[in-house]
Amino acid sequence: MNIKEYILSGIVESYVMGLASEQESKEFEQLCSQYPELVEARTSFELKLEKQAMENAIAPPIGSKEKIWTAIQSRSVTKPTKIINMEPTTRKSSGTSWVAAASIILLLGAAYFAYDFYSKNKKLQTSNKELQSQVDKLSEEQKWMGEVQKMMSDPNVAVVNLVGTTPAKASANVYWDTAGTSPNVYLVVKNMPKLPSDKQYQLWSIINGQDGKLQPTSMGLFDVGDDGKVILKMNNTQKADAFAITIENRGNTGGPTLEQLQSMGKPKL
Amino acid sequence: MNQEIKYSEQELITLLQQRDEKAFGYLYDNYAGALIGVILSIVNDGEIANDILQEVFVNVWKKIEFYDATKGRLFTWLLNIARNAAIDKVRSKDFRNNQNTVTIAENTELNTVKPIFQPNTDFIGLKKILANLKDEYRILIDLSYFQGFTHDEIAKALSIPLGTVKTRIRTALIQLKEML
Repeated sequence: MNIKEYILSGIVESYVMGLASEQESKEFEQLCSQYPELVEARTSFELKLEKQAMENAIAPPIGSKEKIWTAIQSRSVTKPTKIINMEPTTRKSSGTSWVAAASIILLLGAAYFAYDFYSKNKKLQTSNKELQSQVDKLSEEQKWMGEVQKMMSDPNVAVVNLVGTTPAKASANVYWDTAGTSPNVYLVVKNMPKLPSDKQYQLWSIINGQDGKLQPTSMGLFDVGDDGKVILKMNNTQKADAFAITIENRGNTGGPTLEQLQSMGKPKL
Repeated sequence: MNQEIKYSEQELITLLQQRDEKAFGYLYDNYAGALIGVILSIVNDGEIANDILQEVFVNVWKKIEFYDATKGRLFTWLLNIARNAAIDKVRSKDFRNNQNTVTIAENTELNTVKPIFQPNTDFIGLKKILANLKDEYRILIDLSYFQGFTHDEIAKALSIPLGTVKTRIRTALIQLKEML
């Protein structure tokens, strides 16, 4: 390519004034990178055009500069607003996700509260049951204690002191309705050690036989707790010369093991 | 803005890219007058020219990153932005409707998007020089540079071959350069 001819073809002016086609412009720019004289020619024309424009400058209206600056500032202020304006789309999704997040939180919260209420309710029900059973137990005990007290104050009821026969001094009282109107015998254990789980205490009524032999009758097996105290309702007996407590194997069905006699007492008749 | 400060184009561009207020002041002080002159030569309306000037500066402020120094001087870039903005305005419907109230004859012509063949009488800037060109050249520069018609549109409107439009415009531009 003859660059001098190209420079003089009018392409420089055409390009600078924005009248060259896209293809011409591309070619021109590409040639500029190869031919410094082309750039020189371009700059020369640019400066001429610039000078001419400067000489023919018209003073813009007063305040125009400030107005434009304000417009620029508000544009740059609206830049973030533009981002905000885009937010409706973003906000929609973020809104939905927010709602989703919120509903999940609500759901989790509700589930937690539901569970909490459920477990609390369960606990309350349980403790309520416990309380009820305690109340039942207490009222039963009270009823029973009432019976015991009534019996104790009953002149027909004999109190038999069972005195400890061992160093442990296991002692108990038997409240025995001799009149036979009350079918119950109450045993109040004052001090008896807790036994191994395979052993039980057994209360006996003993009758002196005509032949001089003792006839023991079981009035029931019983356990004693840690405190060594217990009040028990035993089988009644119409006749007893003495009461005795022995230690027997759990659930003993045989006779008393007198070697294991813990305490004994005779009614004061 | 301090008129004493003289930035090189590169300094000015760097500052503009940093959105420096002083750079805006410098740009405006140095180029607004020249640009409004060019805009006015296209729109022939002071008020509209001022609006376009504002639009141009706002656009330049926004698009300064797009300026490529390898393609030409800053003013050339500014000038072309201003020219295109003014032409867009002239070609916009509301502008044409406003102008059309002046002449009915032009109205019908403009509605079919045909070039106006009468050059402005109050020449400013380049247009003043343009008057020194032969009619056949002057018309082509007026249509292409001041009214923004493509070579193709001009060829069709004037019933001249496209090649002829192109060579005549180039010849006109060379002559124009000699008159600068």
